[in-house]
Amino acid sequence: MSSRVDPNFKYTLKGFGKGDWNECYHCGNCTATCPLSEDGFLFPRKGVRAIQMGLKDKLAGYLDPWLCYYCGECSKTCPRDANPGELMMTLRRYLTSVYDWTGFSGRLYKSMKAHIAVVIFLFLSVITVFLILADFSIPLGTTEEGEKIVQLNAFAPHEFISTIDHILLGILSFFLLTNILNMFIKVVIKDKSIRVPIYMYFIQMWEGIFHFATQARFSKCEGKRTYWFIHWFCMSSYVIMFAMIIFFLAWFQTDNVYPITHPQRWLGYYVTIGLIFGSVYFLIGRFRKNREMFKFSHHSDWIFLILLFLLAFTGILIHIFRVSGLPLATYIAYMVHLAVEVPMVVTFVAFSKWSHLAYRPMGIFFANCKKAVLRKQYKMQVSPAF
Amino acid sequence: MKNKIKTGVYFCEHLNGHPDSLSMDELVSFARDLPEVAMVWEPAGMNVADPGLLAEQIKGNDLTRIVLAGNRPGYIQPAFTRAMTLAGKDPSEVVIASFHEYNATTRKDTDTAKAILACAVLDVPFELAALPSEEKVHPDTLVIGGGIAGIQASLEIANSGQKVYLLERTGTIGGHMAMFDKTFPTLDCAACILTPKMVEVGQHPNIELMTYCEVKSVSGEPGNFKVKILKKARRVNLATCIGCGMCAEKCPGKAKSEFDNGTSMRTAIYIPFPQAVPNKYLIDAESCTYVLKGKCGVCVKICPVKDCINLDEKDAEVEINVGNIIVATGFKTFDPSRAEQFGYGKLPNVVTSLEFERLVNAAGPTGGLIRYRGQDKKGNWIFSPDNDEPHSIALIHCIGSRDENYNKYCSRVCCMYSLKLAHLIKEKIPDAEVCEYYIDMRAFGKGYEEFYERIKEEGVKIIRGKTASVKESNGQLLVRSEDIHQGRIIEKKVDMVVLAVGLEPREDAGEVARMLGLERESDGWFTEANYLADPTSTFAGGIGIAGLCQGPKDIPDTVAQASAAASRVLQSIIRGKVKNSIKNIPLDTILKNARQFSPVKTEE
Repeated sequence: MSSRVDPNFKYTLKGFGKGDWNECYHCGNCTATCPLSEDGFLFPRKGVRAIQMGLKDKLAGYLDPWLCYYCGECSKTCPRDANPGELMMTLRRYLTSVYDWTGFSGRLYKSMKAHIAVVIFLFLSVITVFLILADFSIPLGTTEEGEKIVQLNAFAPHEFISTIDHILLGILSFFLLTNILNMFIKVVIKDKSIRVPIYMYFIQMWEGIFHFATQARFSKCEGKRTYWFIHWFCMSSYVIMFAMIIFFLAWFQTDNVYPITHPQRWLGYYVTIGLIFGSVYFLIGRFRKNREMFKFSHHSDWIFLILLFLLAFTGILIHIFRVSGLPLATYIAYMVHLAVEVPMVVTFVAFSKWSHLAYRPMGIFFANCKKAVLRKQYKMQVSPAF
Repeated sequence: MKNKIKTGVYFCEHLNGHPDSLSMDELVSFARDLPEVAMVWEPAGMNVADPGLLAEQIKGNDLTRIVLAGNRPGYIQPAFTRAMTLAGKDPSEVVIASFHEYNATTRKDTDTAKAILACAVLDVPFELAALPSEEKVHPDTLVIGGGIAGIQASLEIANSGQKVYLLERTGTIGGHMAMFDKTFPTLDCAACILTPKMVEVGQHPNIELMTYCEVKSVSGEPGNFKVKILKKARRVNLATCIGCGMCAEKCPGKAKSEFDNGTSMRTAIYIPFPQAVPNKYLIDAESCTYVLKGKCGVCVKICPVKDCINLDEKDAEVEINVGNIIVATGFKTFDPSRAEQFGYGKLPNVVTSLEFERLVNAAGPTGGLIRYRGQDKKGNWIFSPDNDEPHSIALIHCIGSRDENYNKYCSRVCCMYSLKLAHLIKEKIPDAEVCEYYIDMRAFGKGYEEFYERIKEEGVKIIRGKTASVKESNGQLLVRSEDIHQGRIIEKKVDMVVLAVGLEPREDAGEVARMLGLERESDGWFTEANYLADPTSTFAGGIGIAGLCQGPKDIPDTVAQASAAASRVLQSIIRGKVKNSIKNIPLDTILKNARQFSPVKTEE
């Protein structure tokens, strides 16, 4: 198979993280150190080689970055300080932009100004919409039992918000799904060396789902169990919150203050604790650079974590104001909450960091399909991803 | 006479990064004050060299000459040559003033740096302006270090009829080379080459051998050094000891043998190895029962020579007067327990190459049999001929070398000695499986590549890929590495792992450098006067360096450098004069000389 060589590829890569990998002298230490690397999917060294040679087309079909969890063991022992772990991170960002057919992702990754501008624009747009449409003077209402409550649903009816949510979901799902289709074409269809029969996708599907729910592969990284747990906690919180907002908003956003034993409150607390704990842990880590994977931070990492934190923080504020019966403060907190949420999902879900929620399980799914074929065809000693 | 020469000075690096580096502000203001200089660029670093922009500046200031100053100005020279061409000036008028070339790197060298800069501005070779004064030389020479470099240098000088003091810290001369079994690439026995030289040193009338001694202080100036030497208490009379060994048979004190690299036990009264020179016993105070507990004296009772052993002997101090000093202090091997992933220190059968060298040596602890490391009755991990034989051995290259986490440099000898060890394993256990894990095979010398080819033909598995980890697995060792040529990960179970450890400067190299006024590289090796043209001299006058203390090298190079260092000494003895250090010349003198020779005149 012929391959195009792009001698300036490292410049293309520059905006996505560390761009220059000329330090690497290919000793193979990183690949051998990696607890996840295995025959058929050798990384990170192979990726460095591809970058050095400028094999742009080949890199577009790489699955390796999605199999790596950045434990940083390779960077720590690299004899050239070439940071191969950061290479995989950079490639994940790059691949996100490659899968994205709109080109929006590349813009966001390459320019911090563009990303911040989009976030601020969406933030202000949401605020403007609220200021024009919403009525901030709605007073406290009274329940049937005669308790005073904040009428949040009068301020922002959940039917209306839910419709907006569904429209947003539709648009973003369209982009994300077409991007995944693009990934599928680049990774599986264009790879002429391995033909994956259709039944294989069904056989391997449960592994993809299992992985999405547990991230079990992550815990294989040596000494990273705590990190895996926090990552999983944060992810599950977000997924639960996502499901509640999209499908059960009427149940979640009520004007009733349920008793403390009610599952709605439990879920709310779980989600809030997960998001606050996760975002603060990652923010502090990235600030102190105390772990190998926190040493290099791209602007998308910072914006993502800050928005995530603000999201959870404003969520707490809504709850506190609502429970303590402060209507105006609740409305403002709710407005800011949405104004943070909208740019967060618009820029991150399909086009930036958050999309790894989809790409990583898909990557592992495709990799497992390929591995199953390799095992069958060549009797190669490759084990499944977990 | 050249007219209207306008010089521009460009500083290539910000040298102010460290409080101990050259003072950039002083250098810039010095350059501004030179009447010959028309323009000084603010120090902007290496990345601003845009020829188009520079050409405009050159044109604007009507510069005819450019001086590039810095540690490695050669890198930036092409940009300026281009800029001069673009500006329509003579591109050959771009000259470099390299501070690094004369090792002007620290703050106290700022004056030297100024002189280098001034000479470049004035278009005078630095060597011409900076003529060191010559001092009368004392004909005796001190050689510090009794390894192969020190032995070779001493013999060269002594054979010319000059007196040499050969100083050695341990009880015998021979150094690391005496520990080796074979030498690459000829597979000659190391002892067969070394021991005749050692004996020659021991018997030479012009060599005064001072073993078990250390340099305490050096004073005086080039040509007339006064060296205070600490004679550590040997507690055995060198003149009367007959080396019978009866004392060692009964001695109760035990310690790990330094000569066998801690892989065997010796008694407190000991001889480092059977061919030691001087072939006399000595008592190690740290393990002697008498010294530790105040009573024993078995050796005194058993010794057949009267008054030979004096257990109460104290350290003594002597002072000698020498004209030249050759430093040949050698190296130490990298301590692989610093790299935890290889398990050295935890897994007994992960051994260093130097330990393994003793293991395969016919005069070593097992008599040349390759055996597992086992525990003796007291729990010491030693090599013993009673243990079993390993059947698969992995040799791992580049431990502590070419690694940003430890030492950046290549230790040069590890590839070759690993190949040699692979050969020796195959020779002793023909059906053994031997694997070598390497990054790049550096077979750099005469006959070395052929040696590599030969080892490959012997059936040694040579795998490209640095080993990531060595772990224990069912009593064997699991070596995990990427096989780069085959594109796969290999996990191999072996019985024994040999770590090809790199070479490092000795722990006290800094102390030696301070005492003698030597410079050291950032990685700790002593700095030579000029890496290419003068590799045996130093900037401290009257002091030469030879062997590993200057940088990693193999035995042939060490011997060659030792002979070269000796020739420098002989040269000064025959002329009766020795050159002082160029760093001792006052700046004004250099400037005066430079102005006198300079073709560049200021407009008056």
